[in-house]
Amino acid sequence: MVLHTLNASPSSAAFADCLRLIAPGDTLMLLGDAVYGAVTGSPDRQALDSSGAEICVLREDAAIAGLDNRLEGATLLDMDGFVELTERISRQLAWY
Amino acid sequence: MNYALLVMSSPFSGQGAMTAARFARCVLARGHSISRVFFLDAGTNNGAAAAVFPQDEKNWLQPWVELAEQHDVELILCIASALRYGMLDGTEASRHEKTSATIHPAFTVSGLGQLVDATAGADRLVTFGG
Amino acid sequence: MSGTNDKSLLLLVRHSPYGSSLARASIDVALAAAAFDQAVSLLFVGDGVLQLLPEQQTEQQGVRNQGKLLASLPLYDIEQVYVDAEAAQRYQLDLNTAPLNTQALDREAMSRLLLTHDHLLGF
Repeated sequence: MVLHTLNASPSSAAFADCLRLIAPGDTLMLLGDAVYGAVTGSPDRQALDSSGAEICVLREDAAIAGLDNRLEGATLLDMDGFVELTERISRQLAWY
Repeated sequence: MNYALLVMSSPFSGQGAMTAARFARCVLARGHSISRVFFLDAGTNNGAAAAVFPQDEKNWLQPWVELAEQHDVELILCIASALRYGMLDGTEASRHEKTSATIHPAFTVSGLGQLVDATAGADRLVTFGG
Repeated sequence: MSGTNDKSLLLLVRHSPYGSSLARASIDVALAAAAFDQAVSLLFVGDGVLQLLPEQQTEQQGVRNQGKLLASLPLYDIEQVYVDAEAAQRYQLDLNTAPLNTQALDREAMSRLLLTHDHLLGF
């Protein structure tokens, strides 16, 4: 299992490259501009959901982006929750 | 657990570096240790001593300085990257005949061996970019 | 530095050779790891495969030649070098002409590769 952290917008190469390597059972932590990829009902969100990975979003970055109420089904985590993910999952791969 | 952090991005390119600093603070609060934060490539810009912050913008240097001064976290700028970005400590400034050091004293300049050493001994290696 | 604390590293390389400073940074890290006897592997994905094009002619531009740098990796015992087969195909890259020996992987094999290393570094 891998914890992927993605900090790039849905239109970026990093986003596409990450989606190519993510496997079912992985966890994906969306940071910065990547949070826009989790918007409910969007094609990017569908692509994320199809990956089979658990989709997590950093709460403070979602708030900054104005997406508080538009990320249904994504796991919103504060920084404590993000650290807890890294405690549980030994491998982290950053995409940016 | 022991964490090593790698910061790849400059503080003004996006939020990655600031997230890294907050992450580090939280790692310590949860009782873990951080052997080192290593800044590589554009990440070395986080060590800029003379950055001036407009009043309504966040001071991105202060969280790092606090981690170093209050929690003894080692902040290492990769020397090869740092030189390219004009990030010099006193020694390098003299060596290259520049007028002054440009990095904040909370940071140290060193080689990639410090990154390798940190990753070899870390339970968790977390990279931040963007 | 070798010892029971050693961790195997996989470096994921996704940037083109001359459009980003990350290309150079990734190989510098690989060389440093090898210099300290750490096991390091490389996986080229996305635009990263462009680093493997032969005949990169950088002399006139005063730019460090990324291809030549990669060609030196086996001298430092860095031999586990993998490539996303589909990315190579996208750029019509014949891996037989790459600066060093590589192993082409499909998507499933790449995902499995991530699990066989202790630490993953994305560039």
